[in-house]
Amino acid sequence: MSAVIEIEGLRKTFHSLRNGRRVAVDGFDLLVEEGQIHGFLGPNGSGKTTTLRALLGLVRADSGRMSVLGEPSPELLPRVAGRVGAIVESPQFFGNFTGYRTLRLLARAGGVPVSRVDEALELVGLRDRGDERVKGYSLGMKQRLAVASALLKDPRLLILDEPANGLDPAGIREMRDLMRSLAASGVTVLVSSHILGEIQLICDHVTIISRGRRVAAGRVDEVLAGHDRHEFLVRVAEPERAVELLHAAELTAVVDSDALVVNGVTDSTVISRVLGEQGLWVGELTPLRPDLESVFLELTGAGEDPSVPRQVDHAAPLPGAEGDPIDLDVRGVDA
Amino acid sequence: MNLVRAELERLSARRFVQLMVVLLVLAFGVTAATTLAGSHKPSADELASARAQATEARRGMEMAFQECLARQNGTLPPREPESYYPRDCSEIDPVRSERLPITADYLPGVFSFAEQARPLLYFLIAFLVLFGFLVGASYIGADLNSGGVVNLLLWRPRRLTVLGAKLGALLGSVLALSVLASLFYLATFWVIGQTAGLAGRLSGDFWRSLGAVHGRGMVLVLLASALGFAIATLGRHTSAALGAVAAYAVVWELGARLVLEIVDARRPDQLMLSSHIGAWLTGETRFWDSQLCADSRPGVYCESFYSLTWGPALLVLLVITGGLTAAAFVVFRRRDLI
Ligand SMILES: Nc1ncnc2c1ncn2[C@@H]1O[C@H](COP(=O)(O)OP(=O)(O)O)[C@@H](O)[C@H]1O
Ligand SMILES: [Mg+2]
Repeated sequence: MSAVIEIEGLRKTFHSLRNGRRVAVDGFDLLVEEGQIHGFLGPNGSGKTTTLRALLGLVRADSGRMSVLGEPSPELLPRVAGRVGAIVESPQFFGNFTGYRTLRLLARAGGVPVSRVDEALELVGLRDRGDERVKGYSLGMKQRLAVASALLKDPRLLILDEPANGLDPAGIREMRDLMRSLAASGVTVLVSSHILGEIQLICDHVTIISRGRRVAAGRVDEVLAGHDRHEFLVRVAEPERAVELLHAAELTAVVDSDALVVNGVTDSTVISRVLGEQGLWVGELTPLRPDLESVFLELTGAGEDPSVPRQVDHAAPLPGAEGDPIDLDVRGVDA
Repeated sequence: MNLVRAELERLSARRFVQLMVVLLVLAFGVTAATTLAGSHKPSADELASARAQATEARRGMEMAFQECLARQNGTLPPREPESYYPRDCSEIDPVRSERLPITADYLPGVFSFAEQARPLLYFLIAFLVLFGFLVGASYIGADLNSGGVVNLLLWRPRRLTVLGAKLGALLGSVLALSVLASLFYLATFWVIGQTAGLAGRLSGDFWRSLGAVHGRGMVLVLLASALGFAIATLGRHTSAALGAVAAYAVVWELGARLVLEIVDARRPDQLMLSSHIGAWLTGETRFWDSQLCADSRPGVYCESFYSLTWGPALLVLLVITGGLTAAAFVVFRRRDLI
C-alpha cells in the first residue's frame, strides 16, 4: 500500500503581537495510506485544522516534511491539487452567488468540466436547491456545498475538516454513507473530527492528536486493543467476600457501587471458577472494552476531574519524552 | 485564462462594483441632463453679437498693450494714474496671454464643447480614479476576508498566479469600463454641443490635446486601481487601503505641508503626490519657489516658478505603485492564509 499523505515532524508556531507565541503543531506525524478512511481525532485547539492547512499549503510550516499523493508539499502541490478535494474549517462562500454558480466558478478556475457541478450537487443532496443564493442556506447546507466543492474534482484523496459541523442527524448519516461509498470506489478519505462516535463508526484507521502531537495512531481496533486493561464487571451476592476471594487468587478487584471491577484478567472463566468454588454464583460477567471515547479522554487528558471546567489547552502530559508518542501504527511497535 | 475568466465573473458579480457602476451612470446622467437643460443653440443674432464683443475685447487688449509700450518708450507722455500700466508691458502682451477672449465667452447659457470638454473629462477621470481605487481595494479585501482566496488556492495552489489573475482581471475590466465610459461621455457632450449649444473650434490641436489628457487619465485610473489592490492585499482588508490614503492625505499632504511651510523648506510641493498627479494629468504644473528670485537684481524680470512635468511625475507614480504592488505579491506569497 502506498502512502497518500505523509507528515513527519510538522511544527507550526503562530506569532501575534497580542498573544505572543503559540505552538499549534509540535512535531506531529501522520501517515495515511491508500484506500483508508482515516480519522483525525483531537479536542478543540489541538492542531487539526492547522495541520491540514499546512499540508495544503495555506500556512507555512516552521519545519517538517510533508507529501501528498507522493509529491512533496507545498512545493509540488500544484501537480496533485487536481486530485485532492479538501475543505478546511467551514469554508465561506460568496453569499450573493447561487450554489450552482459558486461551484461553476471553482470548476472553471480549476479546469474541471462544468457538467461535474450537477453531479456534485446531486451527491450532497443539494440538487433542488442549487439555484438559490448561498446566503439563504442553512449551516448544514453550506457544509454540504463545501463538500460538493471538494467532490467537484472527482478526487483521489478527500480531506474533510469536521464535516459533521452543522449537520442534522440525518445529514451526518448521509455524510457517513457518502464517505463509505467514496471509499468503496477507491477514494482515500482523511476526516478530522472531535466527535468520537463518528470516527469509530466509519473509520478504519485513526490518528489522535493532542496539543499538537500524535498520541496514538493505527487501526481503530488495534488502538482500542492497546488500551484494553482486560477489565470485567462482576455482579455477585456478596461483593466484599468476593473481593477477598479474588485477592486470595491473586487477582485485583475493587468494589464499584453494587458490583466489582476485576482487572488484569486474560481468561474470564478464572473469575467464575474462583467464586463458584466457594459457592458465590456470578450473576453477571461483562468485559469492559474500551471505546474510542475512553481512549481519547485518557490520552488527551480531558475529563480528568469532572468538578473543574476543562480549559481548551489543557491536556494530559504526554507519555514518554519529547517526540515519543505511543506508537500503535500498524507497522510500528505495539504499546 | 480560465482563471481570469472566472475572476472577471466574480468581479462583475460584486455588489459594490455594481453600485459604483450605477453611481457612474447616475453622475453621468445628471451632468448631461443639467447641461442639456441649461444650454440652447445660439441664434444668429446672439452669435453675431458675441463675436463682435469678443473681437472688441481682443482689440481692447491690444490697444492697452500698445499704449503701455508707447509710454515706456516715452512716445506718449506718462499720464495719471501711471500705476494703471504694469512696469513690464510684456505682462499684458496679448500674444503672451494664456487665453484670448473668444466668442463662447459672450454667450451666456450656451454650452460650448470646445471650452468644456477638458474640465468635463477631468471630472470623469477623477470619478474613475476613485472607482478604480475603491473597486481594486474591495475586490481583494473582501475576497481575503470571506475565504474566497483560500477556496481558490485549494484549487490552484499557486499563489502568485492566483493573485496575478485577480490583478489582471481587475485592471482589464477597469480599463475597459473607463475607456467605454469616457468615450461615451465625450460623445454625448459633443452631441449636446452640436445640437443644443456651440461646438466651438474643434481643431486637430484640440483633439490631440484632449486625447492626451484622456490617455493620461486612463493610465492614472489603472495606477489607482493597482494601488488600491496592493494596499488592501498588504493590509488584508479593504479598509487598509482607505485608511492608508486618508492617513497619507492628513499626515503628509496637510500636516507635513504645513510643517514644511513653517520651516520654510524649499519647494514643498514637489514632495507631494498630489502635485505629481496634477503634473501627469495636465502635462505640466507650475509651483512657486520663494528662493528662485531671492538674489535677482531688482527691476530684472525673474520667473519665480518652477515646473513639474509629466515625465518625472509619471516616474514617481510608477515607482510608488509598482513598489507597493511588488511588495504585495512578495508578502502574499509567504503569508499564512487563515
Ligand atoms: N491564526 C492563528 N493565530 C494564532 N493562533 C492560532 C491561529 N490558528 C490557530 N491557532 C492556535 O493553534 C491551536 C490549534 O488550532 P487549530 O489547528 O485550529 O485546532 P483544531 O482544528 O484542532 O481545533 C489553537 O490553540 C489555536 O488557538
Ligand atoms: Mg479545527
